Amino acid sequence: MKKIQILAIALLAISCNDDDAPQLINEEEVITTVEVSLTNLADPTNLVVLKSVDNDGDGPNEPVFTVTGTILANTNYLGSTRFLNEIESPVDDITLEVLEESLEHEVFYLTTVAGLTVIKTDTDTAGNPLGLRFDLATGAAGAGTITVILKHEPLKPNDNTPTGAGGETDVQVTFNVTVQ
Amino acid sequence: MFFKNTVFVIALFCAVLTNAQECNFTLKGAIIDFHDGQRLEAAQLYIRELNIAAVTSATGTYEFKDLCAGSYTIYITHIDCEPKQLTVKLSANKQQDIFLEHHIDQLQAIKIIADVHDDYQSTQSSTRIKQETLQEFRGATLGDALETVQGVTALKTGNSVVKPVIHGLYGSRVAIVNNGLRLQDQEWGVEHAPNIDVNAINTIQVIKGASALRYGGDAVGGTIVLEPARFIKKDTIKGSVTLQGQSNGRGGTITSQLDRYRKSGWYQHVTATAKRLGDFEAPDYVLSNTGSETRALHLTTGYESLAYGASVTYNYYDARIGILRASHIGSAADLVRSINAGQPFVVNDFTYAINAPRQEVVHHALQASAYKRFSGVGKLTALYSFQLNNRLEFDIRRGANANRAALDIDLQTQIAALHMLIDVLPKTTIEMGIDGAYQVNRPNPDTGVRRLIPDYTSVKAGGFASVLYKPSDVWILDAGLRYDHFMIDASKFYIQSRWESLGYNEQYPQFEVAQQGNQILTNPVFNYDLLAFTAGAKRVFNEHYDVALNLSTANRAPNPSELFSDGLHHALATIELGRLDLKMEQSFKLNAIFHANVGKLDLEINPHINRINDFIQLIPTGVETTTRGAFPVFQYEQVNAQIAGIDLSAGYDFWTRKTLKQNGNSSELTYDVVKMAHIDSRFSYLHGQNLTMNEPLIDMPPVQFTNRLTFYNVWKKLDVYVANQTVLEQARFPDYDYEAPVPQNDGSFVNETVRISQPPGSYSLWDVGISYEKKQFLGTQGAARVSLVAQNLLNTTYRNYLNRQRFYADEVGRNFNVQLNYHF
Repeated sequence: MKKIQILAIALLAISCNDDDAPQLINEEEVITTVEVSLTNLADPTNLVVLKSVDNDGDGPNEPVFTVTGTILANTNYLGSTRFLNEIESPVDDITLEVLEESLEHEVFYLTTVAGLTVIKTDTDTAGNPLGLRFDLATGAAGAGTITVILKHEPLKPNDNTPTGAGGETDVQVTFNVTVQ
Repeated sequence: MFFKNTVFVIALFCAVLTNAQECNFTLKGAIIDFHDGQRLEAAQLYIRELNIAAVTSATGTYEFKDLCAGSYTIYITHIDCEPKQLTVKLSANKQQDIFLEHHIDQLQAIKIIADVHDDYQSTQSSTRIKQETLQEFRGATLGDALETVQGVTALKTGNSVVKPVIHGLYGSRVAIVNNGLRLQDQEWGVEHAPNIDVNAINTIQVIKGASALRYGGDAVGGTIVLEPARFIKKDTIKGSVTLQGQSNGRGGTITSQLDRYRKSGWYQHVTATAKRLGDFEAPDYVLSNTGSETRALHLTTGYESLAYGASVTYNYYDARIGILRASHIGSAADLVRSINAGQPFVVNDFTYAINAPRQEVVHHALQASAYKRFSGVGKLTALYSFQLNNRLEFDIRRGANANRAALDIDLQTQIAALHMLIDVLPKTTIEMGIDGAYQVNRPNPDTGVRRLIPDYTSVKAGGFASVLYKPSDVWILDAGLRYDHFMIDASKFYIQSRWESLGYNEQYPQFEVAQQGNQILTNPVFNYDLLAFTAGAKRVFNEHYDVALNLSTANRAPNPSELFSDGLHHALATIELGRLDLKMEQSFKLNAIFHANVGKLDLEINPHINRINDFIQLIPTGVETTTRGAFPVFQYEQVNAQIAGIDLSAGYDFWTRKTLKQNGNSSELTYDVVKMAHIDSRFSYLHGQNLTMNEPLIDMPPVQFTNRLTFYNVWKKLDVYVANQTVLEQARFPDYDYEAPVPQNDGSFVNETVRISQPPGSYSLWDVGISYEKKQFLGTQGAARVSLVAQNLLNTTYRNYLNRQRFYADEVGRNFNVQLNYHF
């Protein structure tokens, strides 16, 4: 019996060795940054950037929204959207993954600004809308919100609404905008 | 010289010769009970070669006179004892004391007699699942089999991940003991089912309270003790093969078992199981990605004798379990849509393929144990086990990560224990033991996802002593005490902002090690002293009635999930946060058991009340916004809780038939009572209250009734049953609903209530089954059994409050289950 005790203690002792610090894991799939760029088709110097940055991912800090440039009324803009993970170094451009898996993704744009329309101009490999590139046309001056929603594994084709598309929400950010 | 030597040799030869012819030797001694050293009266001794017998006197002595020198085979028998055979070489008068195992039947009989109302030798509330019942669950999970016990329900994630709930408590609050030592398989997770193959288990005992001190004092909910088949002391081989097939899931199980026993004491067991199921189906749709695959192996070899024994066991369990695709969501708005839609968003055609989200779990357990009985003292057992549990979880991921596990944890546990049973005193049985567990948790850093459970090392060491005292035939008193020390040393990265927002930078600056990027490495170390105590009394009124009362109090240290969780929970769209400053939970549980066994009726009533101070529970504390939208935050908090309830179980043989039987050739006639029809009923009610916040406790099993009517031998050995399970709607629940902004097609947001609190409605399910057994099947020594069961016969659509997937899909629909079994 004593032998068993000694054996048990010995076995316990053997495994008490590794005490090295764990390796840091940076969240690889978190999207910290959503950036929507609008370029005035008639005036390339009229550039508008809508940006949402949540630098701690799923942490407690709220995303920070910035809008640079002026959205003009009755204007056609060429739009594009980028998704970044800025926790990683170098910064990981998740837009590339969305493009690569275009069949499993779609970006939706919702707005409360009267007269503002968004038409997706790019398609996935099956010819259905993808939404990373789009045309944005403004009507009369006004204020409201633009919401960008990235869906993973949505129903495709769909009725161009996030509700009808189902899937999982990977991004849902809302920008306050003013059309002047 | 030569002459001298010859004379010497001849003289020697003559001496031997004369001795051999002398027949005046006496063989005498005493027959002694090995356990308590008591001398046994009326034991019989028989010398085969001489065909003579003797009986021991009142003082346990025997004597054979006038024996010749030689070798004799002696058979010793005594009522209630294992017969013993002994070879004695006689060349002079000899004193030979012989030890018999007098108590062996009494010791083991406890577990045979007390089938249903187990542990009549103890005051605790406990129920044993019979082997026949377990037989029905070949092909199902351990959790399903446990649901046949009153007071035990199951917390499910889909249909393949089933966790036992005892009197409303589960997870770390319920200990599962396999073969004498506790199973260590990351039981803290709600989506983690016990890594046990139900087919390798012989019997299950469920103890509803913290009174099983031998297995650890912190099981405030209860302990589930799984036992392998008992040793049979004869040369024999037993075995069985079971083929099970089911229509729902379109798959089945094959399991076979072989047990070899030797009269010399050696034995071996082998059980191998393979199971495969495709997608389950609800009445209206396929539950996509709910298939599963399981493989399990159990090997034992050992030696058992009166005085000592040892065994080595190896258990392997490997499961790949699909998680309902529609239950993986990205935001609170997705959850609102799912709850409002009332059906899953992803419904594909039936398939056997198991995609993400899924779990892959492998569990290895190697165990060695040895015992020795000391005459006049008792039995000392030493146990050691090494367990390795690896859990992989695959989520819906993008790009190159799609086939990379999001969670990959290795949990290594070693347990060593010494246990002493002192059973020699006439009225008192004493048990005591010490044990220690050393555990290392190592998450793999290559997942690309922050660790759910951090790296940690923990040590738990403790000891217990308990006494069972029977002052008279009608009273049983028992009491026990246990102390454990638990130390956990973790290394965890917190997001810097999280560390600060929880105030840990001020509360625990001593844990900070280094800052890396936006994360901070910390080294929390905690120590807990856990004390458990149990005491009870039982009064047996006559052979028909008994009443028992048992109090158990226990401490439980917070588990790694409660301490360290921080992150988004994908199935519930909540952010779950642990707390470093959690204290121990303390439970005080009172169980009363009224038991009657009158004629054809067997009734048990078990009211119970459990007061838990500092009960650790997830409570909603606020809302946080991320790039994915808004999420409610649930944090582990401590409240005072009270869970009270009552379990009823009754069995009634309402139709028996007496047949007149002639005994052999004699003229004696006896009645043989044959059970023709039997009804079995169970009822459970629980009332859980959060006393601190004065609201009901979450996830309390609703009221349920189970009834089963069985007709035996309807035609030859054909049995038929009808069963009903009725579960009422849980009317008592805390309101943890929250508001989430849901985007509308016009770009606006409407605040919708996420109704996660409302339990689903009541339901009633019918099962029918038929089984037929043929002894000496096809002229062999074995018996064949075939059974056909229709579960959820009416294809009822329902949802279960205790299923984590109730927000996404209905429960499974009708299932036809066929089982073919051959055993010998």
